[in-house]
Amino acid sequence: MIHSDVIRGHIDTIILKLLLESDMYGYEIANEIKLRTNNKFNIKEATLYSVVGRLESRELIVSYTGEKTHGGKRRYYRVTSLGKAYYKEMIQEWMLLREIMIDMLGSDLGE
Amino acid sequence: MNKIKHFVSKLLKDYFNEEDKKELINILTLSLEEKVEDLVEQGTPVDEAIKKSIQEFGNTDDILEAYPEKTKRRKKLLNDRKSQFFFSFFGYLLIVGLAIFINLNFLDFFLNFKWFVVVIIGVFFWPLVMLYRFLISKR
Repeated sequence: MIHSDVIRGHIDTIILKLLLESDMYGYEIANEIKLRTNNKFNIKEATLYSVVGRLESRELIVSYTGEKTHGGKRRYYRVTSLGKAYYKEMIQEWMLLREIMIDMLGSDLGE
Repeated sequence: MNKIKHFVSKLLKDYFNEEDKKELINILTLSLEEKVEDLVEQGTPVDEAIKKSIQEFGNTDDILEAYPEKTKRRKKLLNDRKSQFFFSFFGYLLIVGLAIFINLNFLDFFLNFKWFVVVIIGVFFWPLVMLYRFLISKR
């Protein structure tokens, strides 16, 4: 399992990516992350919901109340155009980080 | 469902200003309630769903994880308060030492009156207050 310090700066990006695929509500995001990462990355829901709240206050995502397919109402989140731009920027940053790490560790990778 | 709001409010008790806190409590409570509803829909009894959601949720540190600058500011505040206490403590020793020196050196001039005791007790409130402030923010 990955240490939370390492991935902290990238949680925003992960959430934006999921929301760009489809609008989701809080618990759905948590579930989706758990599912896709095979529990390698176990984010606490307390952290996740707080980050979502932050993204909303920074206007990178907006929330609206929607009906669930069957049953109650949920608060769904959608990425704004500002969020999309931010996401693209973060991808650039990640590519740069990846390049740097490969440059530095290259010869030791893939053994 | 009040149980959830109570739980979340308690986690955030000593953090954030009132406005931010209210909003964050709202968001966290809502997400938790949605989780409970999902679990109930899948057939979990309500009480058990609430218990499970609260257990899996995480603690105050997990919330602060989303606010790195908050953690930093808290550390800075603690450090400031600590050095303020040490400053006041050594300041106290200095003032008291000077008072004792003057008082005892010119005892005849002061008609044998040992007023340095008054200074010792009076100025003692300075480091005491600083220590108290430090301990409060450490809590």
